[in-house]
Amino acid sequence: MTEAAISSHDGAPRAADSGRAVLVGQIAVGVGLLGAWELAGRAFGHDWTSLPSLIAVRLAAWALGDLAGHVLVTVTEVAVGLALGGSAGVVAGLALGRLPVIATVLRPIIVALYSVPLITMAPLLILWFGLDLEPKIVLVTVVVFFLVFFNTFAGVGTIDRDLIASFQLLGCTRREEFLKIVAPASLAWIMAGVKIALPYALAAATTGELLASRRGLGALLAHAAQQFDMTGVYAALVVLMAIGILVSEAAAWIERRMLRWRHAAG
Amino acid sequence: MPPGDGATPKIDFRRAAKTFAVRGQHVAALAPIDLAVRTEEFVALVGPSGCGKSTALNLIAGLLRPSEGQVLYDGAPVDGLNRRVGYMTQKDTLLPWRTAAANIGVALELACRATSRREVAERVAQMIDLVGLRGFEHHYPGELSGGMRKRVALARTLIYEPECLLMDEPFGALDAQLKLLMQDQLQQLTRQRRMTVVFVTHDLGEAIALADRVLVFSARPGRIRAVRDVALPRPRDVFKMRFTDAFGRLHEALWNELKDEVAKGVDV
Repeated sequence: MTEAAISSHDGAPRAADSGRAVLVGQIAVGVGLLGAWELAGRAFGHDWTSLPSLIAVRLAAWALGDLAGHVLVTVTEVAVGLALGGSAGVVAGLALGRLPVIATVLRPIIVALYSVPLITMAPLLILWFGLDLEPKIVLVTVVVFFLVFFNTFAGVGTIDRDLIASFQLLGCTRREEFLKIVAPASLAWIMAGVKIALPYALAAATTGELLASRRGLGALLAHAAQQFDMTGVYAALVVLMAIGILVSEAAAWIERRMLRWRHAAG
Repeated sequence: MPPGDGATPKIDFRRAAKTFAVRGQHVAALAPIDLAVRTEEFVALVGPSGCGKSTALNLIAGLLRPSEGQVLYDGAPVDGLNRRVGYMTQKDTLLPWRTAAANIGVALELACRATSRREVAERVAQMIDLVGLRGFEHHYPGELSGGMRKRVALARTLIYEPECLLMDEPFGALDAQLKLLMQDQLQQLTRQRRMTVVFVTHDLGEAIALADRVLVFSARPGRIRAVRDVALPRPRDVFKMRFTDAFGRLHEALWNELKDEVAKGVDV
């Protein structure tokens, strides 16, 4: 009977049905895991693992309190760092991509700088810039800069020589070559660089806050951990997870809109 | 008969040859050739794959320099990119982020032939009709078939009316009917606008239908094996001329030259 029911559908509704079935399955797994956590915690004690119900209560309490302020601090650090580091990375990547001789000269310096695990610069930056937003913004900027720079630089390098040659034959100047070919061709790579950089930006901001800060989600997390407040630690992690998902979904949305030609075929 | 006899040839190969270094080995792509193309002449190059036909076009366009000899354009050696030619390469060099219409109009956007937006739109619309892409103006290259992309590339090359057209198998990807239509359009357009054309093709019938002169290239290294003038009157009916005796005799004679080379050119 079920077989007949399935085969009577044509392709599209069946695809929609299976999409809904997958979603139901995903929700079921999520609810199941949370339920298992809750039950296991209640049965065996929850000093170290907290409970989903306690976390939910804590989140509600924070939401009434100062959670928005902490979120604002972290998001500001990420956003400002992204804007500064992203634009610097694009400019440097495009410029060095167009000037291969200078790129070759600078290569060892760039590789050396990038070889330092960037997060380990946090103590240095805190000594330089203090405990407020500045050191985290600088850290995010540096991390984003390198990732966007490398992607942009690679993107300029992949542009087809024949494509450039055919436009030079059409009579385009070097400026037109840049505006009409190099910049738009690099856009896909720049967007990819920004997408890669986003989780690193969030990580850089919160790591900076963990090390030394009074404000921000990293500070909230560190404060809870120092008091062995497991529920507080998990609650902060849940907020960070939510921000991470929102940020990467937003980036994917922007990419789809800006690179419509890439998705047009599919 | 095409004019220009006695005057300086538009394009002049003088013992021009091209050798490439591939992994330390020298590969002769084009043996020294002599070839003079008159102004407004339509010359077709046929020959097996890898016989240096594309190399010859690249030499005219200035994308390559001859290893020996000289290539003259309007009597002067080609030095650097030759911007007086319009070159439709085998690989389509469309911009994937521009729609078909925006790709076709790109040449007119450049400062060197600044054109008002209204005129660009008008001329793009004309070209879209000419190559039969109405309804696909706003499609991206990724959404078009191989044949449609070729037509966009053709329209992009024709729209700025270069005095000399270099075409590397422009209609190879088209189906038979469309190919005939495009040949007809190309014939009309290049005669009307008095263009000099060097046309590379695998298709002997296409070469005879379009050209004033057909050159058969030998397998690598390419040299000119045979030359035939196509003394058929213009305008030609590309649809019907295939069934005429004159066409048949030319085809037979050229095929006899070509078939040995095709056999040699096949890598076994």
